[in-house]
Amino acid sequence: MEFPGALFPSYFGSGPPNDEAGPAPAAGWGERGEVLQAGSGRRQVLPPFVPLRGHEGESWTPAEAAAVPLLPPNVGCWVPGVTPQDILYRGVLHRKLRTGRSGAALDFAKQLGHFFVDHPEDAFSSLGRLLHKNFHLGDSRLRKGSARDTTIRMTSLVEKINHMEARRGCPQHPFTSHLRLFSHLCRDWLFEVPLGLLADCVHEELLLQWTSLLFDDSSTGGALAWLPPRDASSHVGCLVYPGGLAMNHLYFQDVVLEEQPRARGLPVQFELNGRIRQVAAARVDGQDFVGVRSDYYCGVWRMPGKTGAAPSSLQVIHTDVPASCLTVSPHLSGELSVCTQSGAVYLWNVETGLQRLRHDPQTMFFRDHSPWRWSDFTAHPRVLSCADRTGILCLDARAPTSCHFNFFKVGEEAKCQQGERVVLPMYLGRAHPCQHLVATQFAMYLLDERLPLVPVLKWAHMMKAPPLLADIVPGESGRSHKVLLGTSHTQELLLLQYTGGSQMACQLTGPPQRLHSIASCLPHLPTQLPHQHHLLQQRLSIPAAGLAAVKHEQGQQDSLLVFQLSEAGDVFYQTLRHEAAPTPVPDQRDESEPAPTPDKGDEAEAPPGSPILLGSEGEEQEEEEEQTFYLSNLEVIINDEEEEEEVVATPAAPEEPEPHASPRPAPDVPSAAATLRYRRWLRALLQAWVSSPASSCGSGRPTLSQRRLFTRKELSEVAPSALQQYRLQLHQAMREQGRVQRWEPAPEPPSPPPSLEPSALSSRLTAAWKGEWGAMGPSGSTLQRQRALRERRRQQKRNRAHRSLSASFTSSITYQSELSELSEGGTPRTPPATPREVVVCSQPRTPPQSPNDTLLSSQELQSRGIPKERRRTLRDYLSMWTEGPQDPPEAPSSITVQRCIPSSQSSQSQLSSASQPRRKRPRMGF
Amino acid sequence: MRFLCAFSTLAAEVPPCPAAPTARCGAMEGLRAGSALQPTLHLPFLPRHFYRAASSKEHRLNFWKSKEMCLNYIQDALLQKQWRRAAEFLTSYIEALEKDFSTKFMGPSEMIWRIGSEILCNHSHRNMREFSSFIEQMKSLGIKRYLKVCLEHAFHLLCNGLIDEAYRNLSLAESWRFGELTVVQDKEMKLIQAYRGLLDYYTWSNQKNILLEYGKDGFEDSSVEQEMHSCFRKAAVSLKEIIKIPGVWDLFVKAYVDLLEFYGDHQEAREVLTDYAYNSKFPTNPNAHVYFCQFLKRHGAPKKSLISALKILHDIVPSHELMIDFNTMLQKSKKRKRRRLGLEVIFAVLDYAGWKENVKAWSCLARQVKQIVISEKHLNWIKQEWNSRRDWWPAFHFSRYLAKRNWQENESLSYEKALVAGVLLGKDCKYFKYVSRQGCKAQVKKFRTLKKFVTKHSSAYLSISGL
Repeated sequence: MEFPGALFPSYFGSGPPNDEAGPAPAAGWGERGEVLQAGSGRRQVLPPFVPLRGHEGESWTPAEAAAVPLLPPNVGCWVPGVTPQDILYRGVLHRKLRTGRSGAALDFAKQLGHFFVDHPEDAFSSLGRLLHKNFHLGDSRLRKGSARDTTIRMTSLVEKINHMEARRGCPQHPFTSHLRLFSHLCRDWLFEVPLGLLADCVHEELLLQWTSLLFDDSSTGGALAWLPPRDASSHVGCLVYPGGLAMNHLYFQDVVLEEQPRARGLPVQFELNGRIRQVAAARVDGQDFVGVRSDYYCGVWRMPGKTGAAPSSLQVIHTDVPASCLTVSPHLSGELSVCTQSGAVYLWNVETGLQRLRHDPQTMFFRDHSPWRWSDFTAHPRVLSCADRTGILCLDARAPTSCHFNFFKVGEEAKCQQGERVVLPMYLGRAHPCQHLVATQFAMYLLDERLPLVPVLKWAHMMKAPPLLADIVPGESGRSHKVLLGTSHTQELLLLQYTGGSQMACQLTGPPQRLHSIASCLPHLPTQLPHQHHLLQQRLSIPAAGLAAVKHEQGQQDSLLVFQLSEAGDVFYQTLRHEAAPTPVPDQRDESEPAPTPDKGDEAEAPPGSPILLGSEGEEQEEEEEQTFYLSNLEVIINDEEEEEEVVATPAAPEEPEPHASPRPAPDVPSAAATLRYRRWLRALLQAWVSSPASSCGSGRPTLSQRRLFTRKELSEVAPSALQQYRLQLHQAMREQGRVQRWEPAPEPPSPPPSLEPSALSSRLTAAWKGEWGAMGPSGSTLQRQRALRERRRQQKRNRAHRSLSASFTSSITYQSELSELSEGGTPRTPPATPREVVVCSQPRTPPQSPNDTLLSSQELQSRGIPKERRRTLRDYLSMWTEGPQDPPEAPSSITVQRCIPSSQSSQSQLSSASQPRRKRPRMGF
Repeated sequence: MRFLCAFSTLAAEVPPCPAAPTARCGAMEGLRAGSALQPTLHLPFLPRHFYRAASSKEHRLNFWKSKEMCLNYIQDALLQKQWRRAAEFLTSYIEALEKDFSTKFMGPSEMIWRIGSEILCNHSHRNMREFSSFIEQMKSLGIKRYLKVCLEHAFHLLCNGLIDEAYRNLSLAESWRFGELTVVQDKEMKLIQAYRGLLDYYTWSNQKNILLEYGKDGFEDSSVEQEMHSCFRKAAVSLKEIIKIPGVWDLFVKAYVDLLEFYGDHQEAREVLTDYAYNSKFPTNPNAHVYFCQFLKRHGAPKKSLISALKILHDIVPSHELMIDFNTMLQKSKKRKRRRLGLEVIFAVLDYAGWKENVKAWSCLARQVKQIVISEKHLNWIKQEWNSRRDWWPAFHFSRYLAKRNWQENESLSYEKALVAGVLLGKDCKYFKYVSRQGCKAQVKKFRTLKKFVTKHSSAYLSISGL
């Protein structure tokens, strides 16, 4: 363990950082740093001086065009992350706020609103129950004398609330004084939890969410670990990573390192009771120990000596405060170090238990608010390093209070910048027993334990987010050590090389290199429909959660494998090949072709092979009702029942010889093997997506099941030839990417039902179309609307008993009834008004009673347990919602706009308007 | 190299523009939230989706935006080693100089210098002329960075073996004057002088070698000698200057001490080295102590002072490689106290993972332990050392796995370790048992004697373990 005979010159200061420098985007370039004389003073040796930052390093080139999935997608994980849009206020108020001092306004009112609507029972139940008798919601007048004294009519208030809801998002909606008065009146007593208190709590939580959105340090260290092969001859290592629905399953997956790494067998799986934040591993005396950290639990596993046996769980500890760090000792078996956010550092020995080395809620060198703590091992098995945001301290576990020294300080000692903080310390024992890596949000430092406080190497890494993940691949026999730095949210990945530490001082060799991020594989996946593309984009740009690198030698070829884990639990890898003799031309792309621009996602061609799928389409279609269609390059999965043969058919395509495959150093097109993996991964993901609950709610694609459209019985009623014809029509329409025409030659379109209301509406719409919306003004429009409503109500009164309530009691009922009605008679009752209208759009109703109106008849409502006085309100209430989808077809003549929405979309719009869960819930608990 | 000319000429046309005082960028203003809304960490770049553009500053913002975008492209190209592409973008980026509003620490001119030299270093690292002409233009681009650019230029020349040109550049930079120097500039100036002094020193030592060589032949050249002395003076003045300032100056201290020693000024040399090693304002640099010890050794200083110097090094860096020599020295000593220190030193060395498999260190320990056991005096020394290591050394050094591996990889290491293990842990210890059995099986004589030795002195184990 030699110490370099001479170090690079540097100034040494003390105290807080002087450098006021902000983030400098190019700070890491162009410097030699310092120079040092190499050799023993003989000037004949060339070159006599070596720089701190050299330009000649090993050349590693990516073998693939992008990161490639290693394992099938983690299909359980669909929970989307919080986005700034979810918690930031956008709107009128925000514009006001922006002129003031606070920039980011948290929209806690929206969250409160969601809570009231989604959980009315929790928000208002007791007072709602109390006031139940005293609020009258019906239209009828109060008759009984006694009731009149104690009951108030709330009908108009409810109506107003509903109007507000309908005009949500309209910038000019006026607050009615009535409503404001009521809310003012009941602010103090209506809520289960006092409103102020609740709002405070919600705001506090949002603040936490916002800070974790800006910077989340819980995944520091990364949750991916590579356990190298037990002996050098075998090529089977083990990958440890979290997965499952909430990232609470721990997987041990054997991986065979060959030309392409591949998983062997099924992973061993453990279910834990918390989201796994970090997975750390170390090999001691030939045994692998794996430490796993979740927020309140830390566990340690030991890998079995024999292959095939399951890893054994050794011990689990529970912490009161979330743990922020877990590292495994590379020196002594079964020893780990744990830090909690309360500022405590423990040495955890599986045999002897926990030993608290330090407890200090304050930070070490200056005051910083972060509760984050870290600890790692050093070259001395009894000396641990303890870090917080301000620096690192080394202490002896045998006498933690008396024996310690400052190892790294954010300050002038390391020439830090103001605002710089320690983000990730790491012991590089595998490369050199005394070296440590310290990453801050601006720079990476290399420290030697024997020379504390003065970094032996410093380089501004220029990454856009703080590096939370790092790994090292030690270089044997004088070759450079490779350090990988990774960020979480931006998925950046940087490869650095350095040498030295023993005889020569540490030197950075070669320019840094960016590796592929997980998101980089998006352009190489087969082209998708927009919503699937969006899904993929979201899935692939989920923050990175783990990083592991391994050197793998195969024959003469050296390669570097980098595994990446995303927060959704997907594992990707990329291979880098070492070019043994660096060519004199360092620029690989210069001569071959003009370099592509970075945002070339759109122009990236689909891998060859996908269009071939068209060939297999024909015969499959004939066989039976086929759910998967391939339209040139588009993969449309209509239903969730995937046929087995389809699974077989798809991978056949990419196995064909790749015409574009060429031995260029950095390929633009993925290899055949990679294409195959992309397709498999994509198919698994989309299949899982379609069957997942997430796809059916929220922004997911609405699925249209044929079974709900027609029952078998109904289908059999139709003449088989007609059925065949429909099917042919449907297929043809899909092939032409056109729309489905009407089922049958339409009979004469009946005249629109006489109604007073549409005229007002149509005139408004016409005006709007002509761009006179503003001219009409808010008052005019509301007046008209009110008039229309009044008219409507009058009409409703007229046909009191048998009212045409359509469409929206609940989405499913309406939908089904409507369609069954449609198919009952064999012909649609009222064909669509516009000739090219889609079949599945809402039908205009004639006022006379239709069979399904019995659904909302008094008996029906009674049978559903709705009190008499409310039935009326309910009907009114529901009728408000039918207004929207119903109106346009009623006045087709005056509207010049052709509805030309593809079928899926129109059905989507209807579905979403009818099935918004919030709208069918009772308001405010009464 | 068309693009080079392009970006060089472009750069030359644009006059250096002083940093104009302007408002901060509008986009960043939106982010200045209340303190509670700020991230716990000062981030280099906030994510894109947090930026909100202010419409009133549209024009400047657009310029700022496109500048940023261009910089991103350059960054992207550099990180993928696409030097030519980066250079093409850089020619566009040079426009950023026109509106250098930034009050930021790193303005466009510095970025152009950094990125430009990075590209030139990597892309055409053999063409020094191009690089020099680029740097010359960069020097005229900003006064704030003039010295820094000069220094980096000199480094580049030195690394390429152009010592004379580097020397010229350094002396030119040294004579540069522009008003009052800032703190940073002052530091850079001192560094420039020091490096110039270092080059003077190399010239001096060259001439010294020539003179010494020819001096043997009775040849004397007064002009060479004179030149040598003038080099000495120049070097000594500037080197002396920098080593007063706290820092890591291994290179300069070595050169300065060499100069002083040649001219017989041992007192001053000693003072310089003492100051470098023991001044509390300096970092605890192990090399400073090493140089001091080497100086003491060279001048035949009394053992006592050498030992005290090494003792201090032992306290600072117990794992330093000089500790092996230190231990050998102490073992030979007749004083009990020193031998005691020697044992402490060698135990401390073996605490570190880096020495775990070092035969030399283990043989030092084995020798001393054997000595103590045979003499049967001072067993309590071993006991004291062992007490703080009792709970982790067996797992750290003497596990069965290590016995197997050491035996396979390095027989002599396993012999030394087995001896220590046998004494410290008794003959039933896993390590000793495994190695002695294997050794006896392999018919190696020394293992048989080892076994005998340990069995004979099993009482020592009992007294060490306190039984």
